[in-house]
Amino acid sequence: MEGKPVKIVVYHCKNLRLFKDGEQKVFNRKWPGLSLVSIPCSGKVEAHHLLKTLAGGAQGVLILACAESACQYLEGSARSRKRVDYAGQWLQKVGISPERLDFVRVPPMDRVALENLLREFTSKIQSLEVIPAIAKA
Amino acid sequence: MIVATLKEIDEIRKMIDRYDSVLVVGCDSCVAECAAGGSRETMLLTAALKLSYLKDHKNPTITEAVLDRQCVDDFIDQIADQAPEHDAILSLGCGAGVQALARVYRDKPIIPALNTLFIGETVSRGVWQENCLGCGNCKLGYFGAVCPVTRCSKKLMNGPCGGSKGGRCEVNPEIACGWDMIIRRLDALGELDRLTEYVPPCDWSTSHSGGPRKVIREDQQP
Ligand code: SF4
Ligand code: SF4
Repeated sequence: MEGKPVKIVVYHCKNLRLFKDGEQKVFNRKWPGLSLVSIPCSGKVEAHHLLKTLAGGAQGVLILACAESACQYLEGSARSRKRVDYAGQWLQKVGISPERLDFVRVPPMDRVALENLLREFTSKIQSLEVIPAIAKA
Repeated sequence: MIVATLKEIDEIRKMIDRYDSVLVVGCDSCVAECAAGGSRETMLLTAALKLSYLKDHKNPTITEAVLDRQCVDDFIDQIADQAPEHDAILSLGCGAGVQALARVYRDKPIIPALNTLFIGETVSRGVWQENCLGCGNCKLGYFGAVCPVTRCSKKLMNGPCGGSKGGRCEVNPEIACGWDMIIRRLDALGELDRLTEYVPPCDWSTSHSGGPRKVIREDQQP
């Protein structure tokens, strides 16, 4: 990776089993600027979480969900998609690109797919203007 | 419950831009049920406002709080410590909540973040339907618990009009005909005979048309 690491938060469904014990720490070192947050189901993510994450300084938020048919809570993955879209509408209203949010259904345990996705998302976020940090009084 | 929707952020910004600090106050009762002003929406609006100001390189203090109920003094007390520290309060309560806050915090500008729409029910997830206009003289007993005042576009007490077609209202086919619903319901209940009774037109003096109403109960007073 080149340049200053861009702050990106990834909410990933724990049922994707992307990391075994201890693996996430190693992965984090490889991807500075990235925060991986494991959640019980992608359906737990709501629009206010996403906007709050961006208002807190993240430049992009990625939501990784299971395939709709594989969702253990049946409708979590479908609901999550709608919520991300709704949060995107709010971003549009405040004049921030909704591309800062992305929702992707990924296969379980597939770290290669994850890394490809992260590379793509990071470069997209880097191409956007930085959300200004809180101005000093 | 009272059903409301969030205002557009531009309109809210126009009203609060003049303040350096704003307390965003939600209400966890009716407006939480209709996903307009509860804890989630309070967090959403607060974050959206922060992002919107960040984008403009501005940095007002925006704090969030949620009351269990915004139209009752005992609950309004929950922000007694925070209110004085802010220039204004942005309320996600219904119109009654906004005015209750204004009565309690007399020296504070209280700005509404919602458009209060109607008394209604949650008919399915994400769908809210207006079904009572608060006429002050409920006649649902005659009409199989379907309100002609609210659900009939012409407020007919002795309907239907001649325009009901396929269960839809002639005013707008998107609207289900209130009278079609009344007749089907009474039929299902075996109580169609109720419609043989003449129901006089509404006496609007018991509604808001008679002026702002008030209920006073001495037994409930201190
Ligand atoms: S008859 Fe009056 S009080 Fe009863 S539901 Fe209709 S509007 Fe409300
Ligand atoms: S079509 Fe039905 S709801 Fe519409 S005005 Fe006539 S009776 Fe009322």
